[in-house]
Amino acid sequence: MNKTPCFPPVFSGSALRALGRLASVVLAAMMLLALVPASALALDTAKCTARPNGSTGSEVYGGTETRVTWEGQAAADEAITGLSIVFPRGTTFNDDTTGKARITLLTADQSQRLGFLDADYSLDGETFTATLDEPAQAGGYLRVEIYGVFFPVAGGEMALNGSYALEDGTTLPVEDIQPLTVTGVSTTGQITSWLSDQEWVQAWNSNRFLRMFLNPVIIVDSFPIVFQGFLMAVAIVAIAFPLAIPLGLCLSLMRMAKLRVLRGLASLYVNVVRGTPLFLQIYIAFFGLPLAGLSIDKFPLGVIVLAMNSAAYLCEIFRAGIQSIPAGQNEAARSLGMNAAQTMIFVIIPQTVRRVIPTMTSEFILLYKDTSMLAAVGVMEVVMYAKTIVASTGSITPYIVAACFYLVITLPLAKVVGRLEARLAGGGRRRKRQGGAGAARPLQGTDSAGVTAYVTDALTSQPVIKNDAPDAGR
Amino acid sequence: MKMKKWGVLAVSAAMVAALGLFGCSGGDAKPAEDKKAEEPKTEAPAEMTLMKEGTLTILSSPDYPPFENLENGEIVGYEVDLFNAIADEMGLKLEIQPLQFDGIIPAIQAGGQGDVGVSGFSVDPERAQQIDFTETFYIDDQAVAVMNSNTEITSDNAAQALNQEGVIIAVQSGTTGEAYVQENFPNATVQPYGNGTDCFAAMQSGQATAVCTNLAVVKRMLADAYPDAHMVLEIATGEEYAAVVSKDNPELTKALDAAIKKLQENGTIDQLQDKWF
Repeated sequence: MNKTPCFPPVFSGSALRALGRLASVVLAAMMLLALVPASALALDTAKCTARPNGSTGSEVYGGTETRVTWEGQAAADEAITGLSIVFPRGTTFNDDTTGKARITLLTADQSQRLGFLDADYSLDGETFTATLDEPAQAGGYLRVEIYGVFFPVAGGEMALNGSYALEDGTTLPVEDIQPLTVTGVSTTGQITSWLSDQEWVQAWNSNRFLRMFLNPVIIVDSFPIVFQGFLMAVAIVAIAFPLAIPLGLCLSLMRMAKLRVLRGLASLYVNVVRGTPLFLQIYIAFFGLPLAGLSIDKFPLGVIVLAMNSAAYLCEIFRAGIQSIPAGQNEAARSLGMNAAQTMIFVIIPQTVRRVIPTMTSEFILLYKDTSMLAAVGVMEVVMYAKTIVASTGSITPYIVAACFYLVITLPLAKVVGRLEARLAGGGRRRKRQGGAGAARPLQGTDSAGVTAYVTDALTSQPVIKNDAPDAGR
Repeated sequence: MKMKKWGVLAVSAAMVAALGLFGCSGGDAKPAEDKKAEEPKTEAPAEMTLMKEGTLTILSSPDYPPFENLENGEIVGYEVDLFNAIADEMGLKLEIQPLQFDGIIPAIQAGGQGDVGVSGFSVDPERAQQIDFTETFYIDDQAVAVMNSNTEITSDNAAQALNQEGVIIAVQSGTTGEAYVQENFPNATVQPYGNGTDCFAAMQSGQATAVCTNLAVVKRMLADAYPDAHMVLEIATGEEYAAVVSKDNPELTKALDAAIKKLQENGTIDQLQDKWF
């Protein structure tokens, strides 16, 4: 206590007050720094993205038009008057860049729009500059959308730089813009951009019909994408059809069984499946089954639905085929001591196979075409991909490309069916000459047309309409 | 024999149809085409062409509430009311032809099915290469909804939680919602469906984790049909909605623009927006 008097000589009263003031200022400054270290004089980039410009997927390609969106948060005391973004060397722009650019003022969580800001836009080489008519609200969250940007063809990591101007005239750098990953322009991209510059393409496209249905640029553009869908469709049908065959055979045996219950079950199934549109079956399976607690992936589910649908049609084809085998064959086999199963497996079915092959091929074609229905539930097959491009470009051309992918399979197959039928017709005649089981012949047709007659009698089924001209059913 | 006859008939029918397409792409566009053929590129004050005299025919995909959807067999919605007002303004009768969303722009280009495409089209440079846009009459944003049972994605972490592998986001194919997801959630799987209703059905049945589409649609869907889902993210993307008109019919675009401007000035558009949103 007695030491206190020593102080006054060193610190005069006024000096002490001054020191106190200084300390409080320093303290306040330090507190401020600690509280808002990042926002002190900085325009923080919240995100910087480019709109994907392939026909599907998230890739941004070089040499193709894209829109760059930059968003950032200004510090609480910064009222921005202008912003410029420097694109990498080799970036080009079109008229949309200065004509359509837009600046939006948003709330910090981007959920509400506070307004669009009026600004002048200019381009100088690779530098895009926006000059706001009025300074933006201090501490605002800004979104800048720059249209018509073409990144260099080679692609790579695109580092963007930016700077912004404040009301007092200072210019500061925009902090941490993440570089954009741009994929080098694909081969198709190169071809399409080359094509769209060609005079003959422009002349071709000046015809409205040709432009809508056969636009060369869109053909090239959509081909590789629709091709992915083609692989998907082929995969689906390649699994579904082999699955449908044993299922259909089982059903057909059930329909011919002695047990009434089995017969009833099989014909109920066949009639319900054939009597409702496949489209509905797909919807029910995709949106209904999961609600019932059955969750299956899209691809297997699509395969199952198609296989089950096809099985109903195949059932009728098989049944007709089996019943077209002369009763004498059965009787002969049984009299040789074969049991019913042996007769079926070794005598009847082998003969049936050759008879039903043409109609089965037709059913295969139908099933392949029916994969397109899965587009409605998001299975990425031919039509789905084509549809996506049609919706975004407004041209019908992708559908024409899709049609070609169906024809690639169906045309050769149709030819195969024709050949098979010719061969079977020949085979039939040969047997006639040999005189086989003549007695039963008048009762049941033994050519493929006879098969058809059986198939169509039930619930007029579509699979067989194409082959047989003298079809009494229609 | 019968088949042959039918074949001949079918082929000739196809040829006639093809000729029709080539010649004038739909008979109804004929007047415009003829004029063009006679005097190409003249400055003569061109008239707007309508498919039917005195009727404005709009093409719309009625599966997009509250913009347009079917209610008791009638197509209702903001855009329907708006175009009724526009047709009144122009002294025309309004007729609505339903058509799938992705078929509308091709149909407008081809002509013969409708005069204007009105189905929540947002202005987009790629689309603008094919058709003309009218003045904007609505500004919409994007929103993401998830099922209530999904506790992993909340409104606090949505922006990050959605951008993850294994997250499937249902979108309407060819829409700006699809583009938004591809741009902003590149790690998630984008699952396109034919229309907005299917997106929600897919989410409910577990085929998708979330749905991303226009805010107004999400709000309406949640309110009407999906009380067991909620919105986790709202992004003010500011998409401008406009109608689409064939590039061959600039006079119609001008007339529509004038009508839209007038309705904007006299407050009709604000009234309609209050009614529907």
